[in-house]
Amino acid sequence: MATETASPVGEDEALAGIGLGDGRRLLRGAAGVVGFLAVWYAVSLTQDPFVLPSPVAVAGAFASELAAGDMTAALLQSVSHWVPGTMAGTGLGVAAGVAFGWSRLLDDLTAPLVRTLRPVPPLALIGFAIAWFGINDWGAAFIIAVGAFWINFYAAYGAVEGVSEDLLDVGRTLGVRGDLDAVRSIVLPASMPGILTGIRTGLGRCWMLVVASEIFGVPGVGREIIRASNNLRVDRAIAYILVLSLMYLLVDVAFRAVERRALAWRA
Amino acid sequence: MAGVNGDADGAPLSPAAASVALDGVGKTYSGDGDGGSVRALDDVSFSVADGEFVCLVGPSGCGKTTLFRIVAGLTEATDGRVLLDGTEVTGPTTDMGVVFQEYHLFPWLTVAENVGFGLERSDRSPDEREARVEEMLDLVGLTEFRDAYPKSLSGGMKQRVAIARSLAVDPDLLLMDEPFGAVDAQTREMLQRELLDVWASTGKTVLFVTHDVAEAVTLADRVVVMAAEPGRVREVVDVDVERPRERGDAAFAEYVGRVRELIGAGP
Repeated sequence: MATETASPVGEDEALAGIGLGDGRRLLRGAAGVVGFLAVWYAVSLTQDPFVLPSPVAVAGAFASELAAGDMTAALLQSVSHWVPGTMAGTGLGVAAGVAFGWSRLLDDLTAPLVRTLRPVPPLALIGFAIAWFGINDWGAAFIIAVGAFWINFYAAYGAVEGVSEDLLDVGRTLGVRGDLDAVRSIVLPASMPGILTGIRTGLGRCWMLVVASEIFGVPGVGREIIRASNNLRVDRAIAYILVLSLMYLLVDVAFRAVERRALAWRA
Repeated sequence: MAGVNGDADGAPLSPAAASVALDGVGKTYSGDGDGGSVRALDDVSFSVADGEFVCLVGPSGCGKTTLFRIVAGLTEATDGRVLLDGTEVTGPTTDMGVVFQEYHLFPWLTVAENVGFGLERSDRSPDEREARVEEMLDLVGLTEFRDAYPKSLSGGMKQRVAIARSLAVDPDLLLMDEPFGAVDAQTREMLQRELLDVWASTGKTVLFVTHDVAEAVTLADRVVVMAAEPGRVREVVDVDVERPRERGDAAFAEYVGRVRELIGAGP
């Protein structure tokens, strides 16, 4: 049989384009950061350190907290909330989102409940965290899990709802039978881009929730930020905020790499 | 499931001897309960013999695609029934290979994985499946693209993959809905020749829906011409021209003219 040539995806061109754009973007980004630091420094000269410390003071606070080992200890404590909270919330959120997105029955049964619970901010559940788990790592993990749950629930739900009926039809003509087979062989892979976007959004959001989850006295980066602010040690507060930002960046970059690999099939 | 004649001795009579028989198939779409129902198909009866190539043509709105979906078991008929080798079709079956206009390849699977999709649900051993996939890839000339994802294929190649995927499970009937409607004219003619080769080498029964009269006359042993509002069979035309058929041929042009006349003859 004859074969016409595949429409080549100009990979070299595309790569070159990305390379050039990337270099320029990095340069601009660096310029932006330097500019921001300069303005921050200039303004800080006119202010008291408890209103706005200079970037140099923040760097100093960062270094001394790190050297004293306090920063590492707090980070490890926060990680011990973040990891189980994110994992539980993500796992349950994706599972529930896929199940309710796929099954009309489940969706109808839970819709009123979901709509009632959805607007409740995780922070409002601190009472439950304390009552159910206590002022400890599990209580903090619970707050984080609630945040991760909803993001993943809606991302997975929407992704599953958007799965093409045509692909399901094709699957049926090729022998796909029953919900389990359809979900496993078509619905999950087809909705994977949406699910992964949800997971990535949730991973980032959970670093923000670290602060909220430690507000009731569980030790960690979040509590250090709150404590430093209360003591008007804004330089220390900013240093710990930077820790959260760095963790977010690290996780995001790592997850993007995983995502790119998992979705290599995408145009 | 009983055949049209419901014979206990398993010796079906003439309509059931055909590979496919449509027996008074009708479809009514009910309105919103205010009596605005639409009769899409009315008393459609014809049969396709074992190994025969039949094309279904008609004006837009004649219910070709609805009829295609009913034969495939993807849509339920309101009246009548479809018999595949004497057995009533009550849902999708792997005895039919279904090919859609828009290919509907699974984008997350490679070419070879797409072709092997239906085989995973068969009782063949992994070695047999592998061999079957290679055989199908060879049949449609895509062996060298076995590990490519659909995104990098041209329209013609995608449709070859879809045809190979539907043939892999060795169906008795190939059911195609305007399969070459989304490719350019040159590719279409090439795919038509290739399909006739596949048909000749596999001996499958083919039911092929198209709006292109020349395509129908090029391919079919018989052309079922439909009329619209409601969709019904106007006439069945035997195409008595030796293959390969030449479009410049006088007999060819005569058949095309006749079918066009039947389509344009109004209700």
